[in-house]
This record gives sequence, C-alpha cells and structure tokens, in this order.
Amino acid sequence: MTLAEALNGFVAECNQDPRLREMNRDWSRQIAIVATGHHGRRAVWLKSQEGILTSGEGPLASPDMEITAPEEMLIDIFSGLLSPTEPYNAGDLLVRGQQDDMMRLDILTLLIWGG
Amino acid sequence: MAGKGLSRVLPYRTAVSTSAGLASAAINFLACVEVAEYAGGQSAWLALLVAGGLIVFAGANFSELTTLYPSAAAIRVWIRRGVGDGVSLFSSLIYATTVVFVIAADAFVVGHMFRATIPEVPGLVWVVALLAVVAWANSRGIKVAGAVQDTNAFVLLVTLIAFSLLVLVKAPPTVPALFRLGPGWIQAVAVGVFIFVGFEWVTPLAEEFSDARAIPRGMFTALGLIAMAFGLFSAALSTVFPNPHALSSSLIPQLMVGMRALGPLGFWWMALVTLTTAMTTFNGGLATASRFVYALARERVLPEWFARLNAKLVPINAVWFLSGISLVLAVGVYITGGYLTLINAGAGVESLMYALSSILVINLRKREPDRERGFRVWGVPWVPAVLALIFTALGIGALLTPVGRSPVPWSLGFVGGLAVLAGWYVAKVVPRLKKRAPVSRSRQPGSQI
Repeated sequence: MTLAEALNGFVAECNQDPRLREMNRDWSRQIAIVATGHHGRRAVWLKSQEGILTSGEGPLASPDMEITAPEEMLIDIFSGLLSPTEPYNAGDLLVRGQQDDMMRLDILTLLIWGG
Repeated sequence: MAGKGLSRVLPYRTAVSTSAGLASAAINFLACVEVAEYAGGQSAWLALLVAGGLIVFAGANFSELTTLYPSAAAIRVWIRRGVGDGVSLFSSLIYATTVVFVIAADAFVVGHMFRATIPEVPGLVWVVALLAVVAWANSRGIKVAGAVQDTNAFVLLVTLIAFSLLVLVKAPPTVPALFRLGPGWIQAVAVGVFIFVGFEWVTPLAEEFSDARAIPRGMFTALGLIAMAFGLFSAALSTVFPNPHALSSSLIPQLMVGMRALGPLGFWWMALVTLTTAMTTFNGGLATASRFVYALARERVLPEWFARLNAKLVPINAVWFLSGISLVLAVGVYITGGYLTLINAGAGVESLMYALSSILVINLRKREPDRERGFRVWGVPWVPAVLALIFTALGIGALLTPVGRSPVPWSLGFVGGLAVLAGWYVAKVVPRLKKRAPVSRSRQPGSQI
C-alpha cells in the first residue's frame, strides 16, 4: 500500500460516516504531511472543509498543521495499523500546529479504527 | 516540502506569559515566606537570585531539548530517547503529579484568601466551588483565552514589582541586613527553586510557534521577570516583617503586603490578582495534565477509561479524575494545614527533574549528535554534569526539609510513596495493559467515545 492509497482510504472512511462528517463540519483545516525515507522527503496533504475530507499530493503554501514521519509509519497510521500516539510519544512522529487540531486527528483515527 | 509558515501560530509574548504565568502560582507567596524564614530574613532576595541563576542553567537544558524535539509530549519524548521507556514513564507520572500538587496547594491558598475577604463563607466551600468550576469549564472545552492569560501574567508581575517597590521605598532596608545569611540559607535556595517551578511547562506548546526558538527566549525572559518580581516581594516582606516567622502563620502574606502598600485598595487588588493567578494555574494545569493522561491512555500505559471523550472531545474522565485527586489533596491540606509538605515535595521533584534534564542533554548529544538543535547548552558535558549534582543535592535537601516542629521529613515520605507506587505501576501494570487486545475497528462515535 502506498501513502496516497492509505490517505484515500482514511478520507473515504471519514466521509462515509455521517457522525464524523457532522463532527468535522466546523473544522476547516489544511494539513501538510511530510513523509521521510530513503527516497528523501515526499509531501502529501489532507484538507477538511465543511465536514468533508480530501487528500492529494504536493506541498501546501500555508498549512494549519504539518506532520512529519517516516513514510511506512504514516501508511500504518492512516490505514489503522498503528495509533499515532505511540510514535508521537516516542518522538518519531513530529507535528507543528495547534494541539487541538492534533488531538482532532488522533480522535478521528480512534473513531475510525478503534483503540 | 510544505510551506514554510503555518497559518496560525502563537506570538512570542505568549511564550513569556505562559512560562511566567504557570510559574507564578498563588502558593509562591507562601513559598516566599518560607524562603525568608530559612534565609534568616532580608537576604531572602539573594537566595531567590541564586535559585534563579541555577534555574537559568536548567532553562538552558530545556531549551536544547525543546528545540531538539518540539513536542507536546515533551519530557515523555526526551526521557524516552535519552534514557529509556521505563524511566520515561516513571518520571512522567511523578512529574505530572506535581501539577496536581500545585493545583491543590493553590486551591488551599485561594480558599484562605476568600475566608479573609468574605469571612461568612467557610474557606473549604470556596475550595470545592473553585475546583468544581474549573473542572466544569475544562469539561466544556472552555480555555482561558491567550490574551487573558497574557494580560494576567503581566499584570501580576507588574503589580508585584510596583507593590514591593512601594513597600521598600516606605521602609528602606539596611544594606548589611540584605546580605546577612541565616543558618538555613542552603535550604532557602532549595525552596527558592519552587518559586520558579513550572517555568518549563511552556515547552509542550513548542509545536504551536512558528519557530521553536521562541520557547527558549520566552523562558529566559520569564525567569528574569519572575526573579525580579518575587525577589522584590521577598525583600519587601522581610523588610516590613524583619522576623519572617511572624508571617509563617499567615496564609495571605500577599494581602498583607497589599494592605501595607496601598491600604484596602491594595488588599483587594492583590486578592483579585491571587484569584486570577490561581484560576489560570488551575485551568492551564488541568488542561495540560488531562491531555497528558489521555495520551498515556491512548498509548495503553494507562487504562482505556482515561481516553474516554465527551461530546466536546474533552478527555472527560481524565479531567474529573485529576480534579478529584486535587480536591482530596486540597481538603487534606486544608484540614491538616500541611501545605509546606506540598511545597517541599514540589520543589524536590522539580529539582530532581532539572537534574535529569542535564543527563538528557548529555545522553542525547551522544546518541543523536547530528540532529538539529535550535539551542545548544554551554560546556557539555561538564556544566550540565555539575548542574545535575547541584540539583540532585537541592532536591534531596528540599525533600528532607522538616515541616514545622516535626522532625519527620513528610515530603520525602510523600514523594517516596508516590515513587514506589509509580515504580510498581510501570513494572507490573503497564506490561498487562500493553498486552490487551486492540479495540474493535468497528467502534462508532457517540456522545461519549
């Protein structure tokens, strides 16, 4: 699975759940995701607008939040194989942005994939 | 890859006000009296200055660590990478409980302040009411706005400086008295560390600034302001009351200074400042600690119960649990009057944590030498090594300091008991929690998650 595929799956899970759409209705954010690895650094993004999530590839000019982690780890997180809290507390997943947004993303993974 | 700047970041002044605001708890006023008592009177300001000088070195450690790993998980990350997971978890649990100490002790001070201003209502009622209001506000996701926090911290510091200068101008101290060191001067420095405790709690905000180096700059500015404000307050206290022991029975020394400086206006002004300061400490402390507990539960080192969220996406069980613990401690302190036990325990734990920060700097320089650092500690490994020894000695000194007439070091017993409990938890309970089966992937969101 590629990172883009994992992100697409995550977005689809969020968008098909009416309660998550309602929860995200007032949460408009642009999230830059930087995947590191032997290939260098790769940029993808996630946007939330009026309860609907979208994803894509490439950098964002002025994101609300930036997440940096090894690509394999990001794939595991967005496909539900790994809770983001574990690598975050280990310093392997770095975030820049507001803590409330970070918590919102963590909650989304919790709600979609469980603990 | 991503854009250089984030769209929403915190300003530099928030780094200063958060650092100064979290350190400036209402209990600090009582700690100033204790410092003056140990220092033997008017040299209390000097003890605070020495404590502040040492804290600057600890601040340097936190500056390097926060620019190395800017994370809301802060010490959890640094200790894990610098020493190991078990020590990280053990230390983080102990460290987080100091937040509860401060909340409980502040509740005690504010309860007595209300009793002094509105004697008809028992202080304990105020303690319960204040903690309930803060817990409720936290449960609704209400936070003290950044602007309010900024204003409150600066008003407190400016007020303290102005009041203290007024007192000192009215009754100027003699120069020899300002430098006369009492027999408990080292203990005065150890307890003086408590005045600055919490300055580093701004580091979990590192991710919210455009440049993580705003945190070191903010911490150092805050330390200077705290040293100036509380140093002057200590000098004023010990000038107006040359025998600080006379004040040791007072739980509202700041109100007495206010009254002495500006009469009833000063009294009520200081009462308001104490209240807003305590509310900021309660609110900020509870919000930070509850998120930390939530993160540990998500990591499966605390029971899943603590990760439960309410409809406002607030870790509600963590909020009520921490509020409950704070209330029990505050009531216990209120009944026994043993607030000095909490002050000494807080000073001891923080000093030991500052010693550990030195070890982390040294270890991470060896383990991750090439990782970018926005701030570098001076003289590694020798300066941090000496600092580790000094803070270890100060920490043990604070824990061994007897309270009142009793020769028993209750603070040591309190922290020791906590350490045994945390050690047992990390060794026996955490492995079982880690092994538990993952929750079903089909869990659906609800009003309670």
